Amino acid sequence: MKTRTIGCGNLQRMDDGAGVLVAQRLRELGIPAEIQTGGAFELIAGWDDDEHLILVDAVMTGAPAGTIHVWEGSPPRLPHAQHFSSHGFGLAEAFRLGQILNCLPKRITVFGIEGDQFGIGEQVSTEVAAASERVAQQIAREYAPEFQEEAVQFAD
Amino acid sequence: MSRAARTIRVDTLARVEGEGAMHINLVGERVADVKLRIYEPPRFFEAFLRGRHFSEVADITARICGICPIAYQMSAIHAIERALGLRIDPAVRLLRRLFYCGEWIESHALHVYMLHAPDFLGYQDAIAMAKDHPEVAHRALRLKKIGNRLVALMGGREIHPISAAVGGFYKVPRPEQLRTLVEDLKWALDASVETVKFTAGLEFPDFEQDYEFVALRHPDEYAFNEGRLVSNRGLDIDAAEYEDHFTELHVKHANALHSVVRGRGSYLVGPMARLSLNYDKLTPKAKQVASDVKLKPPVRNPFRSIIVRAVELVFACEEALRIIEQYEPPSQPRVEAPNRAGVGQAITEAPRGILYHRYAIDDKGLIVTAKIVPPTSQNQKRIEDDLREYAARLVAWPLDEATWKCEQAIRNYDPCISCATHFLKLTIERQSESGEGGAQK
Repeated sequence: MKTRTIGCGNLQRMDDGAGVLVAQRLRELGIPAEIQTGGAFELIAGWDDDEHLILVDAVMTGAPAGTIHVWEGSPPRLPHAQHFSSHGFGLAEAFRLGQILNCLPKRITVFGIEGDQFGIGEQVSTEVAAASERVAQQIAREYAPEFQEEAVQFAD
Repeated sequence: MSRAARTIRVDTLARVEGEGAMHINLVGERVADVKLRIYEPPRFFEAFLRGRHFSEVADITARICGICPIAYQMSAIHAIERALGLRIDPAVRLLRRLFYCGEWIESHALHVYMLHAPDFLGYQDAIAMAKDHPEVAHRALRLKKIGNRLVALMGGREIHPISAAVGGFYKVPRPEQLRTLVEDLKWALDASVETVKFTAGLEFPDFEQDYEFVALRHPDEYAFNEGRLVSNRGLDIDAAEYEDHFTELHVKHANALHSVVRGRGSYLVGPMARLSLNYDKLTPKAKQVASDVKLKPPVRNPFRSIIVRAVELVFACEEALRIIEQYEPPSQPRVEAPNRAGVGQAITEAPRGILYHRYAIDDKGLIVTAKIVPPTSQNQKRIEDDLREYAARLVAWPLDEATWKCEQAIRNYDPCISCATHFLKLTIERQSESGEGGAQK
Protein backbone atom coordinates (compact mmCIF):
# COMPACT_ATOMS: atom_id res chain seq x y z
CA MET A 1 0.00 0.00 0.00
CA LYS A 2 1.49 3.31 -1.03
CA THR A 3 1.30 6.46 1.03
CA ARG A 4 0.36 9.81 -0.46
CA THR A 5 0.23 13.23 1.14
CA ILE A 6 -1.95 16.08 -0.06
CA GLY A 7 -1.79 19.59 1.37
CA CYS A 8 -5.09 21.43 0.80
CA GLY A 9 -5.73 25.14 0.74
CA ASN A 10 -4.97 28.47 -0.85
CA LEU A 11 -1.92 30.56 -0.05
CA GLN A 12 -3.79 33.71 -1.09
CA ARG A 13 -6.35 33.15 1.71
CA MET A 14 -4.10 33.66 4.74
CA ASP A 15 -4.31 30.72 7.20
CA ASP A 16 -6.14 28.64 4.60
CA GLY A 17 -2.66 28.10 3.17
CA ALA A 18 -1.61 25.88 6.13
CA GLY A 19 -1.95 22.62 4.19
CA VAL A 20 0.01 24.07 1.27
CA LEU A 21 2.79 25.20 3.61
CA VAL A 22 3.07 21.67 4.99
CA ALA A 23 3.27 20.20 1.47
CA GLN A 24 5.94 22.71 0.46
CA ARG A 25 7.95 21.97 3.61
CA LEU A 26 7.71 18.22 3.00
CA ARG A 27 9.08 18.73 -0.50
CA GLU A 28 11.99 20.66 0.97
CA LEU A 29 12.58 17.67 3.23
CA GLY A 30 12.66 15.42 0.17
CA ILE A 31 9.25 13.88 0.77
CA PRO A 32 6.70 13.87 -2.05
CA ALA A 33 3.56 15.87 -1.41
CA GLU A 34 0.77 17.14 -3.64
CA ILE A 35 -1.07 20.43 -3.39
CA GLN A 36 -4.79 20.76 -4.02
CA THR A 37 -7.47 23.33 -3.34
CA GLY A 38 -9.39 20.96 -1.03
CA GLY A 39 -12.51 20.82 -3.20
CA ALA A 40 -14.30 17.49 -2.69
CA PHE A 41 -14.45 16.53 -6.34
CA GLU A 42 -10.80 17.26 -7.02
CA LEU A 43 -9.88 15.14 -4.02
CA ILE A 44 -12.08 12.18 -4.72
CA ALA A 45 -11.24 12.06 -8.43
CA GLY A 46 -7.64 11.31 -7.44
CA TRP A 47 -8.22 8.68 -4.77
CA ASP A 48 -6.98 5.17 -4.94
CA ASP A 49 -8.60 2.62 -2.63
CA ASP A 50 -5.30 0.86 -2.03
CA GLU A 51 -3.43 3.69 -0.39
CA HIS A 52 -2.75 5.49 2.84
CA LEU A 53 -3.90 9.02 2.24
CA ILE A 54 -2.54 11.80 4.46
CA LEU A 55 -4.51 15.02 4.12
CA VAL A 56 -3.52 18.33 5.68
CA ASP A 57 -5.98 21.22 5.75
CA ALA A 58 -6.82 24.34 7.72
CA VAL A 59 -9.85 23.99 9.99
CA MET A 60 -11.85 26.16 12.33
CA THR A 61 -13.30 24.31 15.31
CA GLY A 62 -13.02 27.05 17.92
CA ALA A 63 -9.70 25.81 19.34
CA PRO A 64 -6.77 28.25 19.68
CA ALA A 65 -4.99 29.12 16.43
CA GLY A 66 -2.22 26.67 15.63
CA THR A 67 -3.86 23.73 17.43
CA ILE A 68 -3.10 20.50 15.57
CA HIS A 69 -5.92 17.98 15.26
CA VAL A 70 -5.43 14.45 13.98
CA TRP A 71 -8.28 12.25 12.78
CA GLU A 72 -7.81 8.68 11.55
CA GLY A 73 -10.12 6.16 9.91
CA SER A 74 -11.75 5.30 6.64
CA PRO A 75 -13.59 7.59 6.75
CA PRO A 76 -12.21 9.60 9.66
CA ARG A 77 -14.85 11.08 11.91
CA LEU A 78 -14.42 14.79 11.53
CA PRO A 79 -16.08 17.16 13.97
CA HIS A 80 -18.37 19.84 12.58
CA ALA A 81 -15.44 21.97 11.61
CA GLN A 82 -15.76 24.70 9.07
CA HIS A 83 -13.40 24.42 6.19
CA PHE A 84 -12.75 27.74 4.57
CA SER A 85 -12.53 26.78 0.98
CA SER A 86 -14.30 29.07 -1.46
CA HIS A 87 -15.77 25.84 -2.81
CA GLY A 88 -19.00 24.49 -1.36
CA PHE A 89 -17.68 20.99 -0.83
CA GLY A 90 -14.69 20.19 1.30
CA LEU A 91 -13.10 17.23 3.06
CA ALA A 92 -16.18 16.09 4.99
CA GLU A 93 -18.24 15.98 1.80
CA ALA A 94 -15.46 14.14 -0.02
CA PHE A 95 -15.51 11.44 2.66
CA ARG A 96 -19.31 11.15 2.52
CA LEU A 97 -19.28 10.84 -1.24
CA GLY A 98 -16.36 8.40 -1.11
CA GLN A 99 -18.34 6.21 1.29
CA ILE A 100 -21.43 6.23 -0.95
CA LEU A 101 -19.37 5.39 -4.02
CA ASN A 102 -17.28 2.86 -2.14
CA CYS A 103 -13.99 4.41 -3.20
CA LEU A 104 -12.40 5.55 0.06
CA PRO A 105 -8.68 4.89 0.50
CA LYS A 106 -7.98 2.02 2.90
CA ARG A 107 -6.40 4.28 5.43
CA ILE A 108 -6.88 8.03 5.88
CA THR A 109 -5.09 10.37 8.26
CA VAL A 110 -6.26 13.97 8.44
CA PHE A 111 -4.14 16.69 10.03
CA GLY A 112 -6.29 19.74 10.73
CA ILE A 113 -4.46 22.95 11.59
CA GLU A 114 -6.63 25.44 13.43
CA GLY A 115 -6.66 28.72 11.51
CA ASP A 116 -7.53 32.19 12.66
CA GLN A 117 -7.62 34.55 9.66
CA PHE A 118 -9.09 33.56 6.30
CA GLY A 119 -9.24 36.87 4.46
CA ILE A 120 -7.48 37.69 1.23
CA GLY A 121 -3.72 37.97 1.57
CA GLU A 122 -0.56 35.94 1.87
CA GLN A 123 0.12 36.55 5.57
CA VAL A 124 -0.15 33.43 7.73
CA SER A 125 -0.62 33.65 11.52
CA THR A 126 2.56 32.97 13.50
CA GLU A 127 0.83 30.11 15.32
CA VAL A 128 -0.33 28.52 12.06
CA ALA A 129 3.11 28.83 10.47
CA ALA A 130 4.66 27.14 13.53
CA ALA A 131 2.01 24.41 13.54
CA SER A 132 2.59 23.78 9.81
CA GLU A 133 6.29 23.19 10.53
CA ARG A 134 5.44 20.77 13.37
CA VAL A 135 3.00 18.81 11.17
CA ALA A 136 5.54 18.57 8.34
CA GLN A 137 8.16 17.27 10.80
CA GLN A 138 5.69 14.79 12.28
CA ILE A 139 4.71 13.42 8.84
CA ALA A 140 8.35 13.19 7.84
CA ARG A 141 9.25 11.39 11.08
CA GLU A 142 6.32 8.99 11.34
CA TYR A 143 5.53 8.15 7.75
CA ALA A 144 8.72 8.66 5.73
CA PRO A 145 9.43 4.93 5.39
CA GLU A 146 6.04 4.47 3.76
CA PHE A 147 6.65 6.86 0.89
CA GLN A 148 7.55 5.38 -2.43
CA GLU A 149 9.31 7.17 -5.18
CA GLU A 150 6.60 6.48 -7.78
CA ALA A 151 4.16 8.47 -5.67
CA VAL A 152 5.86 11.60 -6.95
CA GLN A 153 3.78 12.29 -9.99
CA PHE A 154 3.55 16.01 -10.36
CA ALA A 155 6.15 17.43 -8.04
CA ASP A 156 7.66 20.74 -9.09
CA MET B 1 -53.22 35.01 -3.83
CA SER B 2 -51.93 37.16 -1.07
CA ARG B 3 -50.65 40.58 -2.07
CA ALA B 4 -48.30 40.58 0.85
CA ALA B 5 -44.67 41.24 0.14
CA ARG B 6 -42.27 38.36 0.36
CA THR B 7 -38.62 37.63 0.27
CA ILE B 8 -36.85 34.72 -1.29
CA ARG B 9 -33.61 34.27 0.47
CA VAL B 10 -30.85 31.81 -0.14
CA ASP B 11 -28.41 32.14 2.68
CA THR B 12 -25.95 29.78 1.14
CA LEU B 13 -26.30 29.03 -2.49
CA ALA B 14 -24.54 25.74 -2.72
CA ARG B 15 -22.94 24.31 -5.82
CA VAL B 16 -21.66 27.67 -6.96
CA GLU B 17 -17.94 28.34 -6.72
CA GLY B 18 -17.31 31.11 -4.21
CA GLU B 19 -19.52 33.19 -1.91
CA GLY B 20 -22.17 35.85 -2.43
CA ALA B 21 -25.91 36.58 -2.34
CA MET B 22 -28.94 37.16 -4.47
CA HIS B 23 -31.79 39.38 -3.27
CA ILE B 24 -35.15 39.50 -5.02
CA ASN B 25 -37.83 41.97 -3.94
CA LEU B 26 -41.42 41.20 -4.91
CA VAL B 27 -44.10 43.86 -4.49
CA GLY B 28 -47.54 42.42 -5.00
CA GLU B 29 -47.18 40.37 -8.14
CA ARG B 30 -44.40 42.50 -9.53
CA VAL B 31 -40.64 41.97 -9.27
CA ALA B 32 -39.47 45.30 -7.91
CA ASP B 33 -35.77 44.61 -7.61
CA VAL B 34 -33.11 41.99 -8.22
CA LYS B 35 -29.63 42.37 -6.85
CA LEU B 36 -26.74 40.00 -7.17
CA ARG B 37 -24.58 40.95 -4.19
CA ILE B 38 -20.98 40.05 -3.78
CA TYR B 39 -19.55 39.63 -0.29
CA GLU B 40 -15.86 39.13 -0.57
CA PRO B 41 -13.74 42.11 -1.43
CA PRO B 42 -12.58 42.25 -5.02
CA ARG B 43 -9.52 40.34 -5.89
CA PHE B 44 -6.48 42.47 -5.90
CA PHE B 45 -4.63 40.50 -8.47
CA GLU B 46 -4.49 43.41 -10.87
CA ALA B 47 -2.58 45.33 -8.21
CA PHE B 48 -0.41 42.31 -7.19
CA LEU B 49 0.82 42.10 -10.75
CA ARG B 50 2.20 45.62 -11.00
CA GLY B 51 5.97 45.62 -10.83
CA ARG B 52 6.25 41.86 -11.43
CA HIS B 53 8.13 40.51 -14.42
CA PHE B 54 5.91 39.30 -17.27
CA SER B 55 7.31 35.79 -16.89
CA GLU B 56 5.62 35.53 -13.46
CA VAL B 57 2.15 36.60 -14.59
CA ALA B 58 0.84 33.23 -15.83
CA ASP B 59 1.62 31.50 -12.55
CA ILE B 60 0.19 34.32 -10.43
CA THR B 61 -3.07 34.66 -12.36
CA ALA B 62 -3.54 30.88 -12.35
CA ARG B 63 -4.15 31.26 -8.60
CA ILE B 64 -7.26 33.36 -9.16
CA CYS B 65 -9.30 30.22 -9.76
CA GLY B 66 -8.80 26.58 -8.79
CA ILE B 67 -11.30 25.49 -11.44
CA CYS B 68 -10.06 27.38 -14.50
CA PRO B 69 -6.36 28.17 -13.98
CA ILE B 70 -5.52 27.31 -17.59
CA ALA B 71 -7.88 29.98 -18.88
CA TYR B 72 -6.05 32.55 -16.76
CA GLN B 73 -2.70 31.31 -17.98
CA MET B 74 -3.77 31.30 -21.61
CA SER B 75 -5.28 34.81 -21.62
CA ALA B 76 -2.27 36.18 -19.73
CA ILE B 77 0.29 34.52 -21.99
CA HIS B 78 -1.44 35.50 -25.22
CA ALA B 79 -1.80 39.11 -24.09
CA ILE B 80 1.87 39.31 -23.11
CA GLU B 81 2.99 37.65 -26.34
CA ARG B 82 1.02 40.29 -28.26
CA ALA B 83 2.65 43.03 -26.22
CA LEU B 84 6.08 41.58 -27.02
CA GLY B 85 5.26 40.83 -30.66
CA LEU B 86 6.13 37.11 -30.31
CA ARG B 87 5.19 34.52 -32.92
CA ILE B 88 4.37 31.04 -31.69
CA ASP B 89 5.18 27.67 -33.23
CA PRO B 90 2.00 26.04 -34.68
CA ALA B 91 2.72 22.91 -32.62
CA VAL B 92 2.71 25.02 -29.45
CA ARG B 93 -0.61 26.51 -30.51
CA LEU B 94 -2.06 22.98 -30.87
CA LEU B 95 -0.73 22.00 -27.46
CA ARG B 96 -2.44 25.02 -25.96
CA ARG B 97 -5.71 23.87 -27.49
CA LEU B 98 -5.12 20.42 -26.02
CA PHE B 99 -4.41 21.95 -22.61
CA TYR B 100 -7.69 23.86 -22.81
CA CYS B 101 -9.57 20.65 -23.74
CA GLY B 102 -8.47 19.18 -20.40
CA GLU B 103 -9.79 22.15 -18.48
CA TRP B 104 -13.14 22.11 -20.29
CA ILE B 105 -13.52 18.35 -19.62
CA GLU B 106 -12.79 18.83 -15.90
CA SER B 107 -14.96 21.89 -15.49
CA HIS B 108 -17.95 20.82 -17.59
CA ALA B 109 -18.05 17.31 -16.09
CA LEU B 110 -18.08 18.84 -12.61
CA HIS B 111 -20.81 21.33 -13.37
CA VAL B 112 -23.08 19.13 -15.50
CA TYR B 113 -23.14 16.19 -13.13
CA MET B 114 -22.23 17.32 -9.64
CA LEU B 115 -23.51 20.89 -9.50
CA HIS B 116 -26.38 21.22 -11.98
CA ALA B 117 -27.91 17.76 -12.52
CA PRO B 118 -29.10 17.47 -8.86
CA ASP B 119 -31.41 20.45 -9.52
CA PHE B 120 -33.14 18.72 -12.38
CA LEU B 121 -33.37 15.37 -10.59
CA GLY B 122 -34.73 16.91 -7.38
CA TYR B 123 -31.78 16.35 -5.05
CA GLN B 124 -30.30 18.74 -2.54
CA ASP B 125 -26.78 18.02 -3.72
CA ALA B 126 -24.52 15.56 -5.52
CA ILE B 127 -24.09 13.44 -2.39
CA ALA B 128 -27.84 12.85 -2.12
CA MET B 129 -27.96 12.18 -5.86
CA ALA B 130 -25.07 9.72 -5.67
CA LYS B 131 -27.00 7.53 -3.20
CA ASP B 132 -29.71 6.88 -5.80
CA HIS B 133 -27.61 7.23 -8.94
CA PRO B 134 -24.10 6.00 -8.12
CA GLU B 135 -23.48 5.23 -11.79
CA VAL B 136 -24.00 8.90 -12.64
CA ALA B 137 -21.54 10.00 -9.96
CA HIS B 138 -18.99 7.39 -11.06
CA ARG B 139 -19.25 8.58 -14.67
CA ALA B 140 -18.82 12.18 -13.56
CA LEU B 141 -15.77 11.43 -11.45
CA ARG B 142 -14.12 9.33 -14.15
CA LEU B 143 -14.69 12.08 -16.72
CA LYS B 144 -13.24 14.61 -14.34
CA LYS B 145 -10.31 12.36 -13.59
CA ILE B 146 -9.53 12.05 -17.31
CA GLY B 147 -9.63 15.84 -17.63
CA ASN B 148 -7.30 16.00 -14.61
CA ARG B 149 -4.87 13.55 -16.23
CA LEU B 150 -4.72 15.59 -19.40
CA VAL B 151 -4.16 18.82 -17.46
CA ALA B 152 -1.53 17.18 -15.25
CA LEU B 153 0.36 15.78 -18.21
CA MET B 154 0.33 19.13 -20.00
CA GLY B 155 0.71 21.38 -16.99
CA GLY B 156 3.03 19.44 -14.72
CA ARG B 157 0.33 19.01 -12.06
CA GLU B 158 -3.47 19.09 -11.82
CA ILE B 159 -4.02 22.23 -9.79
CA HIS B 160 -2.28 25.47 -10.69
CA PRO B 161 -0.31 24.02 -13.59
CA ILE B 162 3.21 25.32 -14.07
CA SER B 163 4.39 24.40 -17.55
CA ALA B 164 2.77 27.15 -19.65
CA ALA B 165 5.07 30.05 -20.39
CA VAL B 166 5.30 33.20 -22.45
CA GLY B 167 6.66 31.95 -25.78
CA GLY B 168 5.46 28.35 -25.40
CA PHE B 169 5.90 25.77 -22.64
CA TYR B 170 8.77 25.17 -20.22
CA LYS B 171 8.41 21.51 -21.11
CA VAL B 172 6.29 19.76 -23.74
CA PRO B 173 5.07 16.15 -23.63
CA ARG B 174 6.49 13.42 -25.81
CA PRO B 175 4.04 11.87 -28.32
CA GLU B 176 4.12 8.55 -26.47
CA GLN B 177 3.14 10.31 -23.24
CA LEU B 178 0.10 11.82 -24.90
CA ARG B 179 -0.82 8.49 -26.44
CA THR B 180 -1.26 7.04 -22.94
CA LEU B 181 -4.39 9.21 -22.76
CA VAL B 182 -6.05 7.86 -25.89
CA GLU B 183 -7.97 4.96 -24.36
CA ASP B 184 -9.27 7.13 -21.55
CA LEU B 185 -10.28 9.87 -23.98
CA LYS B 186 -12.12 7.39 -26.18
CA TRP B 187 -14.05 6.28 -23.12
CA ALA B 188 -14.64 9.93 -22.24
CA LEU B 189 -15.95 10.65 -25.72
CA ASP B 190 -18.51 7.83 -25.44
CA ALA B 191 -19.41 8.94 -21.91
CA SER B 192 -19.86 12.51 -23.14
CA VAL B 193 -22.24 11.37 -25.86
CA GLU B 194 -24.19 9.56 -23.13
CA THR B 195 -24.06 12.77 -21.11
CA VAL B 196 -25.72 14.69 -23.94
CA LYS B 197 -28.50 12.10 -24.11
CA PHE B 198 -28.89 12.13 -20.33
CA THR B 199 -29.13 15.92 -20.11
CA ALA B 200 -31.47 16.16 -23.12
CA GLY B 201 -33.87 13.86 -21.27
CA LEU B 202 -34.24 16.25 -18.32
CA GLU B 203 -37.26 18.52 -17.96
CA PHE B 204 -36.83 22.20 -18.74
CA PRO B 205 -39.09 25.14 -17.94
CA ASP B 206 -40.36 27.09 -20.92
CA PHE B 207 -38.16 30.18 -20.51
CA GLU B 208 -36.45 31.84 -23.45
CA GLN B 209 -34.60 35.14 -23.37
CA ASP B 210 -33.40 37.47 -26.10
CA TYR B 211 -29.67 37.42 -25.42
CA GLU B 212 -26.81 39.26 -27.00
CA PHE B 213 -24.43 36.30 -27.28
CA VAL B 214 -20.74 37.21 -27.19
CA ALA B 215 -17.99 34.68 -28.00
CA LEU B 216 -14.78 34.21 -29.91
CA ARG B 217 -15.15 33.03 -33.50
CA HIS B 218 -12.42 31.46 -35.57
CA PRO B 219 -12.75 30.73 -39.30
CA ASP B 220 -11.54 27.13 -39.03
CA GLU B 221 -12.32 25.83 -35.56
CA TYR B 222 -14.46 26.05 -32.44
CA ALA B 223 -12.50 28.86 -30.83
CA PHE B 224 -10.45 28.44 -27.64
CA ASN B 225 -7.72 31.07 -27.68
CA GLU B 226 -7.75 32.72 -31.05
CA GLY B 227 -10.32 34.51 -33.16
CA ARG B 228 -12.40 37.66 -33.35
CA LEU B 229 -14.91 38.62 -30.71
CA VAL B 230 -18.37 38.51 -32.26
CA SER B 231 -22.00 38.77 -31.23
CA ASN B 232 -25.40 38.14 -32.79
CA ARG B 233 -25.94 41.92 -32.81
CA GLY B 234 -23.19 42.85 -35.19
CA LEU B 235 -20.13 42.99 -32.93
CA ASP B 236 -17.00 41.83 -34.78
CA ILE B 237 -13.80 43.11 -33.17
CA ASP B 238 -10.22 42.26 -32.28
CA ALA B 239 -9.34 41.74 -28.61
CA ALA B 240 -7.47 45.06 -28.73
CA GLU B 241 -10.81 46.84 -29.29
CA TYR B 242 -12.58 45.16 -26.33
CA GLU B 243 -12.52 48.20 -24.06
CA ASP B 244 -13.90 50.40 -26.85
CA HIS B 245 -17.04 48.26 -26.95
CA PHE B 246 -17.45 47.01 -23.37
CA THR B 247 -17.35 48.86 -20.11
CA GLU B 248 -17.53 47.91 -16.45
CA LEU B 249 -19.96 49.62 -14.11
CA HIS B 250 -19.51 49.69 -10.37
CA VAL B 251 -22.82 48.96 -8.66
CA LYS B 252 -23.27 49.67 -4.97
CA HIS B 253 -24.59 46.22 -4.04
CA ALA B 254 -21.69 44.27 -5.55
CA ASN B 255 -17.95 44.31 -5.16
CA ALA B 256 -17.48 42.86 -8.62
CA LEU B 257 -17.99 45.16 -11.57
CA HIS B 258 -20.91 44.68 -13.97
CA SER B 259 -19.87 44.52 -17.62
CA VAL B 260 -22.12 45.91 -20.35
CA VAL B 261 -21.89 46.40 -24.09
CA ARG B 262 -21.59 50.16 -24.54
CA GLY B 263 -24.92 51.60 -25.65
CA ARG B 264 -26.76 48.29 -25.29
CA GLY B 265 -26.52 46.63 -21.87
CA SER B 266 -26.13 43.09 -20.57
CA TYR B 267 -24.83 40.25 -22.68
CA LEU B 268 -24.22 36.53 -22.33
CA VAL B 269 -20.88 34.71 -22.51
CA GLY B 270 -20.19 31.00 -22.09
CA PRO B 271 -21.39 27.72 -23.60
CA MET B 272 -24.77 28.97 -24.92
CA ALA B 273 -23.14 31.97 -26.58
CA ARG B 274 -20.34 29.85 -28.04
CA LEU B 275 -22.62 27.18 -29.43
CA SER B 276 -25.12 29.69 -30.78
CA LEU B 277 -22.41 31.60 -32.64
CA ASN B 278 -20.14 28.68 -33.60
CA TYR B 279 -22.42 25.69 -34.13
CA ASP B 280 -21.00 25.23 -37.63
CA LYS B 281 -17.50 24.83 -36.16
CA LEU B 282 -18.33 21.95 -33.81
CA THR B 283 -16.45 18.71 -34.40
CA PRO B 284 -18.42 16.03 -36.35
CA LYS B 285 -19.56 13.88 -33.45
CA ALA B 286 -20.46 16.88 -31.30
CA LYS B 287 -22.56 18.29 -34.14
CA GLN B 288 -24.17 14.91 -34.78
CA VAL B 289 -25.17 14.30 -31.17
CA ALA B 290 -26.47 17.88 -30.85
CA SER B 291 -28.60 17.24 -33.90
CA ASP B 292 -29.75 13.86 -32.51
CA VAL B 293 -31.16 15.57 -29.42
CA LYS B 294 -32.57 18.44 -31.52
CA LEU B 295 -30.30 21.07 -30.02
CA LYS B 296 -30.12 23.81 -32.64
CA PRO B 297 -28.71 27.30 -32.46
CA PRO B 298 -29.56 29.72 -31.10
CA VAL B 299 -30.19 28.21 -27.67
CA ARG B 300 -32.12 30.83 -25.73
CA ASN B 301 -33.38 28.80 -22.76
CA PRO B 302 -30.67 29.11 -20.06
CA PHE B 303 -31.84 25.91 -18.34
CA ARG B 304 -30.82 24.04 -21.49
CA SER B 305 -27.24 25.21 -20.98
CA ILE B 306 -26.66 21.85 -19.27
CA ILE B 307 -27.13 20.15 -22.66
CA VAL B 308 -24.82 22.66 -24.34
CA ARG B 309 -22.08 21.93 -21.77
CA ALA B 310 -22.50 18.24 -22.49
CA VAL B 311 -22.12 18.89 -26.25
CA GLU B 312 -18.95 20.87 -25.49
CA LEU B 313 -17.69 17.87 -23.50
CA VAL B 314 -18.06 15.77 -26.65
CA PHE B 315 -16.24 18.48 -28.61
CA ALA B 316 -13.38 18.69 -26.10
CA CYS B 317 -12.82 14.91 -26.12
CA GLU B 318 -12.98 14.73 -29.90
CA GLU B 319 -10.63 17.67 -30.32
CA ALA B 320 -8.17 16.25 -27.76
CA LEU B 321 -8.06 12.93 -29.63
CA ARG B 322 -7.55 14.72 -32.96
CA ILE B 323 -4.64 16.77 -31.59
CA ILE B 324 -2.96 13.78 -29.93
CA GLU B 325 -3.23 11.78 -33.15
CA GLN B 326 -1.40 14.41 -35.25
CA TYR B 327 0.96 15.66 -32.55
CA GLU B 328 4.59 16.24 -33.35
CA PRO B 329 6.61 18.12 -30.74
CA PRO B 330 7.59 21.68 -31.63
CA SER B 331 11.18 22.23 -32.78
CA GLN B 332 11.71 24.12 -29.52
CA PRO B 333 9.23 24.19 -26.61
CA ARG B 334 9.58 27.92 -26.12
CA VAL B 335 10.85 30.92 -28.05
CA GLU B 336 12.86 33.47 -26.12
CA ALA B 337 10.80 36.38 -24.82
CA PRO B 338 12.98 39.50 -24.62
CA ASN B 339 12.16 42.43 -22.35
CA ARG B 340 10.37 44.98 -24.48
CA ALA B 341 7.90 47.75 -23.73
CA GLY B 342 4.40 47.32 -25.12
CA VAL B 343 0.70 46.81 -24.53
CA GLY B 344 -1.15 43.60 -25.34
CA GLN B 345 -4.70 42.35 -25.01
CA ALA B 346 -6.07 38.83 -25.37
CA ILE B 347 -9.35 36.98 -25.01
CA THR B 348 -9.67 33.23 -24.59
CA GLU B 349 -12.67 31.01 -23.94
CA ALA B 350 -12.66 29.86 -20.32
CA PRO B 351 -15.22 27.11 -19.59
CA ARG B 352 -17.63 29.82 -18.37
CA GLY B 353 -17.01 32.27 -21.23
CA ILE B 354 -14.61 34.87 -22.50
CA LEU B 355 -11.76 35.99 -20.24
CA TYR B 356 -10.13 39.32 -21.15
CA HIS B 357 -6.60 40.31 -20.07
CA ARG B 358 -4.66 43.48 -20.89
CA TYR B 359 -1.07 44.21 -19.82
CA ALA B 360 1.19 47.21 -20.26
CA ILE B 361 4.85 46.24 -19.92
CA ASP B 362 7.89 48.51 -19.56
CA ASP B 363 11.30 48.08 -21.21
CA LYS B 364 12.56 46.00 -18.27
CA GLY B 365 9.71 43.52 -18.78
CA LEU B 366 7.86 44.67 -15.66
CA ILE B 367 4.07 44.98 -15.56
CA VAL B 368 2.94 48.61 -15.43
CA THR B 369 -0.82 47.98 -15.51
CA ALA B 370 -2.99 44.88 -15.66
CA LYS B 371 -6.67 44.49 -16.34
CA ILE B 372 -8.61 41.23 -15.96
CA VAL B 373 -12.31 40.79 -16.81
CA PRO B 374 -13.50 37.27 -15.89
CA PRO B 375 -16.52 35.63 -17.52
CA THR B 376 -18.70 35.58 -14.42
CA SER B 377 -18.46 39.33 -13.94
CA GLN B 378 -19.49 39.71 -17.57
CA ASN B 379 -22.54 37.51 -16.98
CA GLN B 380 -23.56 39.09 -13.67
CA LYS B 381 -25.86 41.72 -15.08
CA ARG B 382 -27.37 39.11 -17.38
CA ILE B 383 -28.02 36.85 -14.36
CA GLU B 384 -29.91 39.71 -12.71
CA ASP B 385 -31.89 40.37 -15.91
CA ASP B 386 -32.86 36.69 -16.19
CA LEU B 387 -33.85 36.50 -12.53
CA ARG B 388 -36.03 39.58 -12.93
CA GLU B 389 -37.96 37.78 -15.68
CA TYR B 390 -37.93 34.38 -14.05
CA ALA B 391 -38.95 35.47 -10.56
CA ALA B 392 -42.01 37.19 -12.05
CA ARG B 393 -43.28 33.73 -12.98
CA LEU B 394 -42.79 32.44 -9.46
CA VAL B 395 -44.70 35.03 -7.43
CA ALA B 396 -47.56 32.60 -6.76
CA TRP B 397 -45.26 29.73 -5.80
CA PRO B 398 -44.60 28.67 -2.21
CA LEU B 399 -41.52 30.48 -1.01
CA ASP B 400 -39.27 27.44 -0.61
CA GLU B 401 -40.07 26.17 -4.08
CA ALA B 402 -39.58 29.63 -5.63
CA THR B 403 -36.24 29.88 -3.84
CA TRP B 404 -35.15 26.50 -5.12
CA LYS B 405 -36.10 27.47 -8.67
CA CYS B 406 -34.16 30.73 -8.46
CA GLU B 407 -31.07 28.93 -7.18
CA GLN B 408 -31.31 26.56 -10.11
CA ALA B 409 -31.66 29.51 -12.48
CA ILE B 410 -28.46 31.04 -11.11
CA ARG B 411 -26.60 27.77 -11.54
CA ASN B 412 -27.50 27.85 -15.25
CA TYR B 413 -24.51 30.15 -15.59
CA ASP B 414 -22.10 27.98 -13.59
CA PRO B 415 -21.10 31.21 -11.88
CA CYS B 416 -17.57 31.05 -10.67
CA ILE B 417 -17.80 33.71 -8.04
CA SER B 418 -14.26 32.94 -6.92
CA CYS B 419 -13.18 34.55 -10.15
CA ALA B 420 -15.66 37.39 -10.26
CA THR B 421 -14.89 37.76 -6.63
CA HIS B 422 -17.15 35.41 -4.47
CA PHE B 423 -20.92 33.53 -3.41
CA LEU B 424 -24.10 33.10 -2.44
CA LYS B 425 -27.19 33.94 -0.46
CA LEU B 426 -30.52 34.33 -2.19
CA THR B 427 -33.28 36.47 -0.68
CA ILE B 428 -36.72 37.02 -2.13
CA GLU B 429 -38.54 39.80 -0.30
CA ARG B 430 -42.29 40.24 -0.60
CA GLN B 431 -44.12 43.49 0.08
CA SER B 432 -47.72 44.61 -0.46
CA GLU B 433 -48.35 47.39 -2.95
CA SER B 434 -48.96 49.64 0.09
CA GLY B 435 -45.47 48.89 1.30
CA GLU B 436 -46.43 46.51 4.12
CA GLY B 437 -44.82 43.22 4.74
CA GLY B 438 -41.21 42.32 4.99
CA ALA B 439 -38.55 39.84 4.39
CA GLN B 440 -39.41 36.21 4.66
CA LYS B 441 -36.75 33.61 4.98
